[in-house]
Amino acid sequence: MLEIKNLHVAVEGKEILSGINLTVNAGEVHAVMGPNGSGKSTLSHVLAGKEGYEVTKGSILFKEKSLLDLEPEERAGEGVFLAFQYPIEIAGVNNVYMLKAALNGIRAYRGESELSSVQFLKMVKDKVKAVGLDEGLLNRQVNSGFSGGEKKKNEIFQLSVLEPTLAVLDETDSGLDIDALKAVADGVNKLRIATRAFIVVTHYQRLLDHIVPDFVHVLSKGKIVRTGDKELALTLEERGYDWLAEENLV
Amino acid sequence: MTDVLSELLPPSEGRHSLSEPDWLQEKRQEAGRAVKELGFPNSGIETWKYTSLHRLKKVDFRPAEIADSTADTTVMPKIEIDSLKEKTVIFVNGFFRKDLGTYKNNVAGIKIEPLYNNTNMLEKNQEFISSYSDDAFAALNLAAFSDGISIEVDDNALISETIRLVFIGEHRDPLLRNIKNIIQLGQNAQLRLIEEYRSGIDDFGLTNVSTNIVLQKGATLNHHRLQNEAISSSQIAKIVASVEANASYNSDSIVLGGQLTRLEIDVALTGGLATCRLNGLFSGSGEQHIDHHTTVRHQVGDTHSEELYRGILDDKSRGVFNGKVIVEKDAQKITAKQASNNLLLSRTAEIDTKPELQIYADDVKCAHGATIGQLDSAALFYLRSRGISEQKSRALLIFAFAEEIIKTIPVDNLRSNLERRFIGHNEMSKLKSEAL
Repeated sequence: MLEIKNLHVAVEGKEILSGINLTVNAGEVHAVMGPNGSGKSTLSHVLAGKEGYEVTKGSILFKEKSLLDLEPEERAGEGVFLAFQYPIEIAGVNNVYMLKAALNGIRAYRGESELSSVQFLKMVKDKVKAVGLDEGLLNRQVNSGFSGGEKKKNEIFQLSVLEPTLAVLDETDSGLDIDALKAVADGVNKLRIATRAFIVVTHYQRLLDHIVPDFVHVLSKGKIVRTGDKELALTLEERGYDWLAEENLV
Repeated sequence: MTDVLSELLPPSEGRHSLSEPDWLQEKRQEAGRAVKELGFPNSGIETWKYTSLHRLKKVDFRPAEIADSTADTTVMPKIEIDSLKEKTVIFVNGFFRKDLGTYKNNVAGIKIEPLYNNTNMLEKNQEFISSYSDDAFAALNLAAFSDGISIEVDDNALISETIRLVFIGEHRDPLLRNIKNIIQLGQNAQLRLIEEYRSGIDDFGLTNVSTNIVLQKGATLNHHRLQNEAISSSQIAKIVASVEANASYNSDSIVLGGQLTRLEIDVALTGGLATCRLNGLFSGSGEQHIDHHTTVRHQVGDTHSEELYRGILDDKSRGVFNGKVIVEKDAQKITAKQASNNLLLSRTAEIDTKPELQIYADDVKCAHGATIGQLDSAALFYLRSRGISEQKSRALLIFAFAEEIIKTIPVDNLRSNLERRFIGHNEMSKLKSEAL
């Protein structure tokens, strides 16, 4: 589904990613771990098409299309979704209103007809329950005045409505207490299906207790330095990132 | 070329009806002399520093005459007079058109007439309308006004009908339309008024309008002003309001159209607990120039004012906001809040925004803030990453910025029209109304 080959990315002339190779198939959950500054968020942003990142080498193929040639909204249309580490507050834009515009934007991209309001609202009400988001937040301005947990739940709720084939969760656990973390993880687990892949970007192992990955990749200084299964995450939790970096130097 | 402002005065012979009282004739002549002395305001005058009249000077305006009031308004875009819910009074090229409006003088407690028929009203406000000081356009207005509205609301009359004034400009010739309005609310009276300016797409006229407002004790005027003229027309407008104790003046100034729009609002809070709220929303594109100058005079203690202006400027358009607050000596315990927020959508758009506080009392609460920004790129990316096109995402964010002002307008028709205008997509406005 996703094939990242020798990806090099620079920000303002400084190389952040230095040759990432990663293949993700439908149904798989890949965790990308690494210390601060290792390039985790850059990878998420580049996948979603954020401006300010210069791809100097390499390619990203998503369902045989070059993702890098697509605008952010086209990527969403193709089925890419990024759950933001810091969801943006947008004063004056209604949550449901935005979501309906998004869903219909994606449907239009795919040549599908728009959903009627009745269909849309029914679906929204079912899904908001499933992710445990307070229904009252639906009609609020996007993320405005939401708690940290509510913001993250709102991201997962959007994911559930937009039904991407590749969901990238960027530090979804950051700033969450354990209850909120569990709730968010539960929401994600319900959305794990055979046709959908996840890339879970995280600094800490604790999220992976709840969203159990098929693969764990360790990112350090812009490169994947180790790939393993969920046991690798436990080792990292025990020993920290330093041993890997040291081992790598040797 | 009209290099000299006094060339815009009508010929002195036969310019006004013989029925005009002597005092008015004298005031007009006096004002005419002031126009000759003052001339066009230039950039050397502080309040005209950022607004150049050079484009206006290139036009050969002629003062509108009664014959111009019969211009065919059926060719006007988007004039749906019959479908307007509000009681409507219509002026064409500065003259009252009795045949077009839907307002009949049959609402209890309020009297609405063309000002020209109401010399009594003019006389009562003689001093007020003559205080043009060094304002050349106000002097020109007095010297040459053709007509305008006279509104009187009786003491204690709460008018539940919204009154809508529509001033239409439409002519092949570039007309100068001098309009004078006087609005007077008696004690504890209430009125909601929409004042709208429209013009035909080929109209190159200049509307020079002066409005005098008197709110007696405890009165409330909600005044929604909409400049929706074609971008070939221009307007210079002045509102002078006197707000007595316990009275409130609430004004929205929405400027969407016009090549050059200059709006001055000057409010005097003259009695305890007098309040005013001045809101503004302007949106410019192309080479539009939109200038708001507001002055709030806290003349006595315990008076309160609030101002929120939002500007959206695209292309090479230019905005000016100058908000002056004057707190007189001994006007203690007043509060004055002012905010000017501006969104620049292109590198070539420009805004000059300036708060100006003159405080001569010592126990006051005054706050002001001005912001100038671009569309939030993080928010734009967030929306696009969700599958919303760039164009729609921009429209959504612009709309959200404007909505802060629009949502406060309690007139359904006007609000939904503005929402449609700002969202830019019918589809999106449909979506909004449907959202839960």
